[in-house]
Amino acid sequence: MNITASFLIKLCFLLVVATATSTVFAQDSNSSDVADDVAEKVSEAQKMGENYLFEDPNDRKTFLKLTAELRCPMCQNQNIADSDAMIAHDMRRKVYQLMLQGSSEQQVIDYMKERYGDFVHYQPPVTPVTIWLWALPVLFAVVMMGVFLMRRKVTPEENIEAKLAAANKLLKDD
Amino acid sequence: MKRLTWFMLPLVLFLGLAVFLFQGLYSNPKERESTAVSNAFPAFSLPDLMDESVIYDNSVFDGQITLINVWGVWCTTCAIELPYLESLKNQGYRVVGLYYDQDLDPDFGTKTIDRVRTEVVSTLSKFGDPYAFNIFDVYRNTSLDLGVTGAPETFLVDQEGVIRVHHLGDLNERVWRNKFAPVLAEIEPQTKASTTELGVKQ
Repeated sequence: MNITASFLIKLCFLLVVATATSTVFAQDSNSSDVADDVAEKVSEAQKMGENYLFEDPNDRKTFLKLTAELRCPMCQNQNIADSDAMIAHDMRRKVYQLMLQGSSEQQVIDYMKERYGDFVHYQPPVTPVTIWLWALPVLFAVVMMGVFLMRRKVTPEENIEAKLAAANKLLKDD
Repeated sequence: MKRLTWFMLPLVLFLGLAVFLFQGLYSNPKERESTAVSNAFPAFSLPDLMDESVIYDNSVFDGQITLINVWGVWCTTCAIELPYLESLKNQGYRVVGLYYDQDLDPDFGTKTIDRVRTEVVSTLSKFGDPYAFNIFDVYRNTSLDLGVTGAPETFLVDQEGVIRVHHLGDLNERVWRNKFAPVLAEIEPQTKASTTELGVKQ
């Protein structure tokens, strides 16, 4: 009874860790949802007089993706598509200007990073410091799996032998 | 022994986490390393706020230590720091304004340049005028190049035109002592000669 319960708890724990890990890796696939959200926000902005027109629909997609990925340095938990801070307006305008001048997506990101640091992009770069963001959950899951497997083997066998010895002793005493 | 380790492990992990989160309580999320420091001041060519026929460029930094103060009349904190900036001016520091306005922009509606000038004059006469002159960052491109997130911000630019300090928020005695004074002590000996030289020329 006790063993099953602890097994279930451990299993739940592993599941949580696994989900957390997979979300970290699945960030890319989420960004299209974000872009949809942003499309709504941008159409709102257009009503308010901010018209960023693109001839090529692909450029428009890139613009929406970029403004969703770039972080507003003023209201720090919003991207620049979402934020109404003046700096966000300026950055959107800059992204648009740079794109019209023919900058690639990466060039626009680098342009902003040059001025506002890695902070300005929601996708952190992999550096010796940030590698732990990815490594720690995996490491944790592996270690916990190891601990779990080791403990499961040992405990029940020991218990049975000890009980047997105790029972034999009782029988002898009688 | 083994049992003790198993007993201690969660405790140690918990303490580690607690210390990590505790220091997070007192860290300032707005504080991050500026990318502008130790770079040359970005190239610009902008008009004077009061007279658009005067155009400034990076030569304004030649041979002088300059404090560039990013401000606007719409910004309350900027007005609050004006008296302190004026006291710096009285100590002999050169304070130059990098002015930008929210309303001179299609995004925010329109305000005539004359109205901006009247507001600037009335603000400066009310709170003090520390500025040698004001550079008008019309489309805020220079602010963006500097990594400005909002007003007020202050940059210390050395006599070679290199940014040495970038401060976000208001400038006061404490910030001056901790952030600007040490850097100034480092670069000032070379300047004293050049400022006296300029003084003679003028």
